[in-house]
Amino acid sequence: MWRVELVLPEGRAELAVGEDQFLWQAAGRAGIALPSRCRIGWCLSCAARLLAPGEVDQGAARRYFAEDRAAGFILPCTARPRSDLIVLTHQAEAMRQHRLGLGLPASLG
Amino acid sequence: MAEAKKIGYGDLSGRVGVEEIRARGVDVDKLIRKLIANAAAEFSSTYYYYTILRMHLAGYEDYKEICEDARLEDRAHWELIVPRIYELGGELPNDLPTFHNQAGCAPAKLPDPPTAVNILTLLLESERCAIRSWGEICDLTVGKDPRTYDMAARILNEEIEHEAWFIELLAHERDGKSIPSGHFRRGEPGEAPYSKNRRFYNP
Repeated sequence: MWRVELVLPEGRAELAVGEDQFLWQAAGRAGIALPSRCRIGWCLSCAARLLAPGEVDQGAARRYFAEDRAAGFILPCTARPRSDLIVLTHQAEAMRQHRLGLGLPASLG
Repeated sequence: MAEAKKIGYGDLSGRVGVEEIRARGVDVDKLIRKLIANAAAEFSSTYYYYTILRMHLAGYEDYKEICEDARLEDRAHWELIVPRIYELGGELPNDLPTFHNQAGCAPAKLPDPPTAVNILTLLLESERCAIRSWGEICDLTVGKDPRTYDMAARILNEEIEHEAWFIELLAHERDGKSIPSGHFRRGEPGEAPYSKNRRFYNP
């Protein structure tokens, strides 16, 4: 289990998340409703950003780029932890602007 | 309510139909962006890919018919959304790949292997994404923009019905269970009773 600290608009929350669990799912089980729409790593609704160095497996995402990883953006609906994490949630617009700024595909939704 | 920007007599530089909803608190730019994402989802993520899914349901003629209804109704949704985007001052990208990439839901690509269970699961989850997307538009417009709200609610009604259909079929195909949608048949393929304002099947 990895220790995941969520930095939410309403405050901080801490979760213990297994390697086979998605962050979004684990948050839901803890009673924390993170944003989401497609739930398969496409739409950016759930986008978040790592506030400290950390590793996630985004292999289940339908669309995730090396540039996203380099900028610290993650998609919690399809992110499995591979280290302890500090995660700033509600970053959909920031991730959309990051993608568009680099000429990468981004959902407008 | 803030005062709407004045549009002068004969002035073509603005639209009262836009300024009135902006004054009521609608973020028009955000609304246009989300409508484009939803139009892309209806046209490219579902209508196009449901066509392929339908082709691979050979031997499951009842499933194929239901997929056909959802496919054609998603096309009807696309037709309904586009005029509203332009009315609000937005426009579609003049490039189909760009439009596809802006979709608010992922493309419903043929699963591997393309079994009935895998196809029905994909159809179900695609409809669920659509329900969430149209719920967002309803939330953005309720009490402020009756024209967009009415359109979104009509589409949402049909997406909710599509979800019920695919729950019923997947429960039968995968789990051997009966979870009825409770719906009667469409009068014709892709009838779209809400989004085309048709009467319900009631002979």
